[in-house]
Amino acid sequence: MLTGSKTTFKVRQMLPDIKERMLSQSGVNSRSRDVFGLRCLPGECVLQRAVMVRKKLTAREGRGWLSGTLFCTHFRVAFVPQDGPKPDDNADPVLLGDHDVALASIEKVVVVGPNRTKLVTSNSSLKFTPEELVLYCRDLRVVCFLFDRLTPDTQVLEITYTIAKTYQPPKPGSVLSFQNAALGSVEMKQFLSNRRRDTHMNWHESSSDWEQELERCGATGWRVSSVNDRFEMSTSLPRYIVVPQKVLDTELKKSFAHFNEGRIPRWCWRHPRGCDLLRMASFQNNIYHEKDDIRNLETILFGCQASLCVVVELGEELPSPADVQLAHSRLRALCLGDISTSVSVPDDKWLSTLEGTHWLDYTRSCLKKASEVACLLRGGHLTVALQEPDDRDLSCVVSSLVQVMCDPHCRTQHGFQSLVQKEWVMAGHRFNSRLNYHRDNDKEEAPVFLLFLDCVWQLLSQYPARFQLTDDFLLALHDSVHLPLFSSFLANCQRERCKRSQSLGQSYTPVNGWRDMLHPDFSPDPSDPPLPPVWDWALQYSKRRRDRFTQPVAPVPPLQPLLNGNLNTNPDTHRLTDTLPGSVFLFSRGAFSCPANLVPWRSSGGSGVYRKSHRRAASSESVPGLERLLKAWALSEFPQGLTSTVGTQGPLDTYEPLLPLLMGPCMGFWRECYLRGALHAQAFSHPISANHPHPVERLAREVQQLKDKLAQASQTDPHLGAKTAEPRWSDTNLNQNTNNGTFLFPAQRPHGTAAPRAAPPPTSTNRQTSRGPPPASAPPSRPSYKDNGGGNKHTFLFGHSSATEARPEKRCYPTPSNAKLPKSNGPSIAS
Amino acid sequence: MASPISIYHSNPLDTHLSSTSRESLKMELLADVSLLPGEDRIIDKDIIYICPFNGAVKGKVLITNYRLYFKSYEADVILDVPLGVISRVEKMGGASSRGENAYGLDITCKDMRNLRFALKQEGHSRRDIFDFLFRHAFPLSHGLPLFAYVTQEKYEENGWNVYNPLEEFRRQALPNNKWRLTFINNTYELCDTYPTVLAVPVKSSEDDLRRVAAFRSRGRIPVLSWIHRENQAVIVRCSQPLVGMSGKRNKDDERYLDLIREANDTTKLTIFDARPSVNAVANKATGGGYEGDEYQTAELIFLDIQNIHVMRESLKKLKDIVYPNVEESHWLSSLESTHWLEHIKLVLSGAIQVADKVSSGNSVVVHCSDGWDRTAQLTSLAMLMLDSHYRTLRGFQVLVEKEWISFGHKFASRIGHGDKNHADQDRSPVFLQFIDCVWQMTKQFPTAFEFNERLLLTILDHLYSCRFGTFLYNCESARDSNELRLKTVSLWSLVNSKMDMYLNPFYTPESGRVLYPVASMRHLELWVTYYIRWNPRIRQQVGPQQSPVEQRYKELLALRDEYLKKLEELQRPDSSPSSRLAHSPSSNTSSSSSSTPLQQYTHLHTPL
Repeated sequence: MLTGSKTTFKVRQMLPDIKERMLSQSGVNSRSRDVFGLRCLPGECVLQRAVMVRKKLTAREGRGWLSGTLFCTHFRVAFVPQDGPKPDDNADPVLLGDHDVALASIEKVVVVGPNRTKLVTSNSSLKFTPEELVLYCRDLRVVCFLFDRLTPDTQVLEITYTIAKTYQPPKPGSVLSFQNAALGSVEMKQFLSNRRRDTHMNWHESSSDWEQELERCGATGWRVSSVNDRFEMSTSLPRYIVVPQKVLDTELKKSFAHFNEGRIPRWCWRHPRGCDLLRMASFQNNIYHEKDDIRNLETILFGCQASLCVVVELGEELPSPADVQLAHSRLRALCLGDISTSVSVPDDKWLSTLEGTHWLDYTRSCLKKASEVACLLRGGHLTVALQEPDDRDLSCVVSSLVQVMCDPHCRTQHGFQSLVQKEWVMAGHRFNSRLNYHRDNDKEEAPVFLLFLDCVWQLLSQYPARFQLTDDFLLALHDSVHLPLFSSFLANCQRERCKRSQSLGQSYTPVNGWRDMLHPDFSPDPSDPPLPPVWDWALQYSKRRRDRFTQPVAPVPPLQPLLNGNLNTNPDTHRLTDTLPGSVFLFSRGAFSCPANLVPWRSSGGSGVYRKSHRRAASSESVPGLERLLKAWALSEFPQGLTSTVGTQGPLDTYEPLLPLLMGPCMGFWRECYLRGALHAQAFSHPISANHPHPVERLAREVQQLKDKLAQASQTDPHLGAKTAEPRWSDTNLNQNTNNGTFLFPAQRPHGTAAPRAAPPPTSTNRQTSRGPPPASAPPSRPSYKDNGGGNKHTFLFGHSSATEARPEKRCYPTPSNAKLPKSNGPSIAS
Repeated sequence: MASPISIYHSNPLDTHLSSTSRESLKMELLADVSLLPGEDRIIDKDIIYICPFNGAVKGKVLITNYRLYFKSYEADVILDVPLGVISRVEKMGGASSRGENAYGLDITCKDMRNLRFALKQEGHSRRDIFDFLFRHAFPLSHGLPLFAYVTQEKYEENGWNVYNPLEEFRRQALPNNKWRLTFINNTYELCDTYPTVLAVPVKSSEDDLRRVAAFRSRGRIPVLSWIHRENQAVIVRCSQPLVGMSGKRNKDDERYLDLIREANDTTKLTIFDARPSVNAVANKATGGGYEGDEYQTAELIFLDIQNIHVMRESLKKLKDIVYPNVEESHWLSSLESTHWLEHIKLVLSGAIQVADKVSSGNSVVVHCSDGWDRTAQLTSLAMLMLDSHYRTLRGFQVLVEKEWISFGHKFASRIGHGDKNHADQDRSPVFLQFIDCVWQMTKQFPTAFEFNERLLLTILDHLYSCRFGTFLYNCESARDSNELRLKTVSLWSLVNSKMDMYLNPFYTPESGRVLYPVASMRHLELWVTYYIRWNPRIRQQVGPQQSPVEQRYKELLALRDEYLKKLEELQRPDSSPSSRLAHSPSSNTSSSSSSTPLQQYTHLHTPL
């Protein structure tokens, strides 16, 4: 494999290099996995290394350079900084270090010489010694290494050739060898099979998972059906689906034939106001409908509302997967520039070229559709069914966006993971085809999931304070999509995933039947690496980076209100229920209609088939009621949470959807993701870096530490047991008073397990405490308050001064001296 | 967002007024307008405001010698427009015009909006209001004083003391053995658009300065603006040399520039000519030009920044796509075609080049044609990048006072204060462009500036309002002769008596760090909260509301204090549990009202 360099270099120079390589091989064989400072995975061999290399750091990493050693293994290009922390031999293996690039995510290898740039492939030979090695990655990263003058020329050439030969050019079959390089060793398999699943999230795999979700949403009237347990009803649906309680499995079985791929209407989520969100494929119109079938169909469709169903057609206004693919490839080309010639779009044409990709248009149309659905659901008393011909692409986007907008739980890391698991992985989004890992099906390729991530990022950037997850998390997910290692993405549906876990190597040859369906994670063939789910973040990211996936002191989703019947307070919708019993409307292009052919049985079944449709034919007269719901959306595009005038209206509903502003100037561009590769834009140092976190982040960490300390202190102080509940008290109070809880950061996670504390007092007590006059024991507190106020300059600014001491001018903003960032108060607290 | 459902009303949150309170409002609709001391009511009458977002709104308008105030009967639409903002008032429709609301007034504002009012056609009802508006919006055209000379406002601090040239020179450790201060311009004899105190090379005599002045356009000789504390490299500003068609030379000017180079002992002096080279050449025809090869120890770099006319047209195009309606279908390409961000980029990248040269130890000379537009942009931005002092709230005021006001940026001509001639070719948004560049920097370095976006918005609002003397007149000599500092109030009086409103809570001082923003279209953004702020759909992040990040920061601070206090109490055995109970409620009552004191300040930002 060194043929390329032999022509240009003397054998004498190569000798030490070969010795090194042998060294590294022997290093692998020994128990120590530490080879030249690189901590290898079990079974990983270092193919080549180069010393005295500098890695160019991105803006996020703090910019500038980092010197160290560059390695190439069968699995990755690794970079070990000179002064980095010593690897801990006892720690669990991490697939990729902070500076590593998996070979499979490399798209192109380019070297820069004294006055030229060359694309290196497995059979190129270089006539010059590169000064710079640039790896263009599929995830839009561009990783750049600079060879120092002290780097031996041989090493430079060798490592370049090695990387060029071993990185996986897109071809069928390369994925498996990559997986084996990463996970194939006996030790690694052992390690993976002992991994515990994250129990904080809902995997939506078992029937109890679904029941838990039904309970979480307060969705009564639904049940989990195992009618598709053996994937006989629908190959692409999961084993368990949620259907109305009143429909029996036998009745259900007759419905599958009426829908494309057997994807019948299934429950996804319930809005706290009692509306259910369903999704389904399009109707199969060529099938004869029997009366009973029709009744079953309607029962399924109306779910528990039995009054009004709005079918939201997703085909027309949203991009097709092919559109998404085209837009994404244009976006990639725009952001990375022409790799071989290093020519990028001129700056003065940047905006129009960006517009020309249509990527932002598509993001916007998905968000718009999701906003409309969210508003319909908010109205109450109806069922919304998302309908897409095959129900496997944009309905995943819209249904999950609706939940991100409406359900604070979905804005936490675990909630979001559960959501992706529910609406994408289990619902049968064809990840494997859409991501085209095997490069065998270019026609199907469409990064629909990446479009979804962009939409979530738009919401996050407009409502940063309403998310517990961060853009670091979204970025990690974005990058993981490009690694063909995860069971979550390497199959098109649950059925395939089960099959694959049995015989990975043959996933592309049809297998007749499969064994041991009940234990999908059990792998009978020990030679296939078990694939981990993407959610096992510890495999990929160090603790330090995982910590950045969530906000340090997170905005906590408020406790789920206890639903006792329908919590509908919207007067409009009562009228809706009165006027529109059993009607089905189509919602398309922002308007409601009731076309005769919307539901096949309405036209074919004739009149009087079903009581409800017979009783009152749905007419467009009833449409204004629905349109009012959407008008509410247009109104609510005004700042809801930010306006201070909401004061008189009482606490803001925490389930008010986060409706994004969708005007052109309000759509953001995810620079941190797409422009990571634009090296020219990173020429200068930036004061904010990993080492200098944003003051908010610093403060948040400080608060977190204080909280921990407080929890600790109160634990060691038994007679103050009641005090542990106090942080929560104040949180609740904050909740009520600060802008009606819109941008609220109560500090405690509701299911936080770490901080031990007493049960919170009932809410009503809180209110009394916060609103009522100070208790009789108030006077003694005064002196202590004043002491604190003197010792801590910030105290009086944020409302610790009582109303009696009102100093209106000083209340709201820090005075100059106080606006400076707080220095760490750690030591003083400890004393 | 051309959606069929995008019907919207005014802020729905304001519609909670009960009908009875509405009635009483109608009675004394304008009674609650708080006027400034010295502000007089002139006329009020019923009028219809044709709001581009809400349609026609009936209400009452009040005109004073300072403002136009409109309040609707119903939907709680309020307009509070200082008359100084008005650039043009026109009558719309005639007595015989047909159609609803066809007869009235059309007002063009300098701050990216237009206002239309409709009146009843009977009895020439608009004649008096038009006349009053016209008189008081353009007082200088009618022999009236600007409002800044009328107002009786008093503030604790006198903002005129913010900038003292000698003090600022002292801060920069000037004079020193290379640079001296000269009072040659004490009576504005040398140059009537320069300040009185100038810093020049020690080796140059007063006679040298006079001879150089003869060779520089309008006598604006090269003088020191800023000196690097460590490497002694300087930023020198001036106007173009009067080379002319014949290619005149001036030995004194050449020698003078060489003295500047010599002062910090580098081989080359870099001259940045802000103009595109073609424009520099074209200026020869009118007697100007640029430094040629005869300046042997200098290198000349053109920065390709367009002139005031190009900038004016660019802003006009920008207004067309954002007001009243935001161009939706092709937003990005429309934005690109205005070239506004492109100009911002060129100004910023020019300043980056200046800052980069200086921080690597090379002295630079910056000029354009007259040295009061593009030159001011470049030097002030470069200084903002180089010197962290200017990134503080007071430092920024000094920067504006020094580089813009004292060095004779022609605010009066560029803004047209109190002048009815709206089509004046001298008007141009040069200063706005500078503030936009500053905003871009604050976006890219969110912790590097002590002041916040609100300060920038306030500065821009009062750039036009004529309430303060700060931005009036073209140069110091005119200010002196009009006794500006004696008779008017400085904008900094207002700012510095309410400082906490303008502070960035995230400010982390890092003295000595040079900031280089990324000047690429990929990273520049349109300043939506300024240019599109009249659109009710743009979330107002200024005014009483804060950005979510700011809000979060404050809540964290509150939490931190709370925890700290509790920890302390936990560690103090004698404290009784009840004493802590008293804190929580009190803390909350005040935090809930924390936004109220700010509201009185929002009238300039209020959305429609």
